Amino acid sequence: MMASVLAINLNAQLTFNSQSVPASEYFKMCVVDMNGDFLDDIVSVDHTNINVLMQNEEGGFEVVNYPTAFAEHVPEWTLAAGDFNGDGYNDLIYGAFSGVSFMLSDGTGTGYTTVVPGNYVFAQRTNFVDINNDGYLDAFVCHDTAPNIYFLNDGSNGFEYHQGGLGDYPSGGNYGSVWVDYNNDGLIDMFIAKCGGIEARHTDQLFRNNGDGTFTNVAAEANMDHKTQTWSSAWADYDNDGDMDAFIGINSNTSGGHLLMRNNGDGTFTDVTAGSGFDIYNGLSREHAPADFNNDGYVDIFGNGGRVFLNNGNMTFTPVPAPFSEASIGDLNNDGFMDAFAFGTVHYNNGNSNNWLTINTIGTVSNRNGIGARVELYSAMGKQIRDVRSGEGFAYMSSLNTHFGIGSDTEIEKIIIRWPSGIIDIIENPDINTSLVVVEGEHQMGVNDTNTVQFSIYPNPVKDVLKIRAKTYENTTYEIYHLTGSLVQKGKLENGKINVSQLNKGIFIISLNQDGKKSNLKFIKQ
Amino acid sequence: MSMKYLYNFIFFIFITALTSCSSDNDNFPTDDEPEEISPVVFDINEVPYTKLSDYHFFKAPIRELEPVYGVIPYEPVSTLFSDYAKKKRFVWMPEGVSANYLSDSEVLDFPAGTILIKNFYYENVLPGNTTKLLETRLMIKKADEWMFANYTWNEQQTDAFYDMEGSFVPVTWNQDGETREVNYQIPNGVECFTCHNEGEIPLPIGPKPQNLNKNYPYATGTQNQLEKLKDFGYLNSYPGNILTLVDYHDTSQPLDLRVRSYLDINCAHCHSDNGFCNYRAPRFAFNRTSNPENLGICIVPDEDISNEVNAHPTHIIKPGHHDESEIFYRLNTTQANIRMPSRGRSLIHEEGIQMISEWIDSLAGNCE
Repeated sequence: MMASVLAINLNAQLTFNSQSVPASEYFKMCVVDMNGDFLDDIVSVDHTNINVLMQNEEGGFEVVNYPTAFAEHVPEWTLAAGDFNGDGYNDLIYGAFSGVSFMLSDGTGTGYTTVVPGNYVFAQRTNFVDINNDGYLDAFVCHDTAPNIYFLNDGSNGFEYHQGGLGDYPSGGNYGSVWVDYNNDGLIDMFIAKCGGIEARHTDQLFRNNGDGTFTNVAAEANMDHKTQTWSSAWADYDNDGDMDAFIGINSNTSGGHLLMRNNGDGTFTDVTAGSGFDIYNGLSREHAPADFNNDGYVDIFGNGGRVFLNNGNMTFTPVPAPFSEASIGDLNNDGFMDAFAFGTVHYNNGNSNNWLTINTIGTVSNRNGIGARVELYSAMGKQIRDVRSGEGFAYMSSLNTHFGIGSDTEIEKIIIRWPSGIIDIIENPDINTSLVVVEGEHQMGVNDTNTVQFSIYPNPVKDVLKIRAKTYENTTYEIYHLTGSLVQKGKLENGKINVSQLNKGIFIISLNQDGKKSNLKFIKQ
Repeated sequence: MSMKYLYNFIFFIFITALTSCSSDNDNFPTDDEPEEISPVVFDINEVPYTKLSDYHFFKAPIRELEPVYGVIPYEPVSTLFSDYAKKKRFVWMPEGVSANYLSDSEVLDFPAGTILIKNFYYENVLPGNTTKLLETRLMIKKADEWMFANYTWNEQQTDAFYDMEGSFVPVTWNQDGETREVNYQIPNGVECFTCHNEGEIPLPIGPKPQNLNKNYPYATGTQNQLEKLKDFGYLNSYPGNILTLVDYHDTSQPLDLRVRSYLDINCAHCHSDNGFCNYRAPRFAFNRTSNPENLGICIVPDEDISNEVNAHPTHIIKPGHHDESEIFYRLNTTQANIRMPSRGRSLIHEEGIQMISEWIDSLAGNCE
């Protein structure tokens, strides 16, 4: 008995090592991969520059600056990232008090084009998400003073301004949108945390995706039409029962306190705040977002009062001190534990003995990041789920990599990825304590007979050197085919690195053969 | 009945008496010096017009902002800071209607057809040290509801054009020997409502009795503004004793009244029971700030902005310590996500901050 208590306490320990980093631009609110290697980078921006601390695989950062044409609007309020133009590099949207700017990568990873649509919006939370599920990311912007707006991407570098249908309260009050499949129908829905003015203005909204490009506010019937004053909500499956629960954190206590809402699995939610720990916590914040900091397989909540709210696994939470409140979250030393970046300082998570897996999703039919995909992980402790999301909490942008802690479990039975396209990939027995790149459609049941993942490749898209992750490189040969089927390159895998710089741009398949077992993986050459 | 109409009526009786003796005169009596008619053009169903000149508020050239008959200038006692822009304000009403006094602290109950006209400009704009008009904002009372109509001045300064899209205009000007710069924001139409609303009903902010009750140097001589409106027939009646703001620029006034007057006009429209920032503690309306709690004195702020401002404000206002008062940091920044007011300014109002800091430092007591 004593031993188990001790073990719990050890796992509950959460400590950070804080180090300031030379993020040089004013707006320091983004951790996301910028060069296609799926290692989280630190992004700071201002009117004429994107400063990236590019994470090296060997540890540490390389400083890269991307001067940009003047961006009229800078992320005074919020920033989101996603591969809007689908060229393999993440793009940025800056949310300002009178409009937004886009920073669109130029397809080579060497520069960005400034695009300022010019439409007035008092921007609050911004998100990249494929609103109409056409395979191209769109951009959604919460409007403080009018109905919300969004930019629908036509997939050919063009996008169109829209207003209406996604939160139309005339005078706004929209602060924190989060795109989440709350009813497990495979379609991405949206919840908006609202605040200020008369009650109707600050009543939260939950938009169910009807699957035909329209959305219906079902907040009342779902028991999610809260009147609390809130700027953000943190969504995760806090009880690991297979559906997304919600923490609706307040930024003012004038209309009620924090709310923890358990998803009933039938499209409705039950208030389980009483006894959860949030009923007695009075801290207020703009930011509330989810992350599993101690890798115990139960998603925690952060953003409030210099604390991380550790999930006890039974819908109760214990606040533990942390050296940050609002922050961008990601793995900044590639150790499988979530770190935080805020105000120019990285707070490295000192970690523990728990195991983990990070999944890097590459959409092919779906949008490039796989934003909106539902990722399921099955291990001895049960089933965990994540959504791939761009833009959580209120202001900050956190990693687009999908991170799971699995506690003391040492094996993962399988990963299921349900893509926005409807494609389902199943990866059985993946390695743990590593990252796994999953290209949409490569692990469909009955399509590929790959029982085990022997190899993963990165960066993807690749420019010069394709790197292979494998337990061993011995007795391994490779063949690279163009999608048309023609063999373009072959050889022996010497050290896990293949020079592909002479390949033309396009999509290729690499076939890796190790002791007679074949793995086929798709990659994009740039 | 207003003086204007009373005089007309008496004159009418007098003329009628004179002429009724004479026979065969079926003509309606005429005034030798006809009552001046306001040349303002206004059709409640046609507004907003496309050009500011369409209303005929001002004599030509309209950039001089010389009002025509019936367009009455006014100036609030305490004025909103708008990036140091100067303002000229006017009110016009159709014939035969007038406003009612409700209370000292409520906007006058203006009749349908009322137009409030507010012109924003800078003087000594470089390079030529010229006056530059940027925008003219109208609030027009249509039937029961106010509407907003914004007019953007052209570069030639010959007219202003209806535009609810908003824009930015860079302005460099000389102020007290110092060159200043601003990227002046002409607001988008939906922004008007952010400040100009009470419980989602559009409403003017400035023309409250408490903020009009002062003398104004009219062309015809200096007169109390409420009295002038009443004399002209624009206001029915008002009480003698009005709890009035002070001009916060006036250093002869008590410091606390100056600060409360400043906070009223700059902050109270959002920080009120029915404003968009009703979820924060302060209630900055002048008639509520005699209560120190409503000013935020010793109130712990909801949000921790320590990291943003690199300081540790403990209370919204901490007596004796402006550097530990959140209000100081909210005012002393241009950073959009923490600045106050969040709208209508991109510059820091140095004189305002100086005054408020001085006042906070003069307050006694502690918050324990």
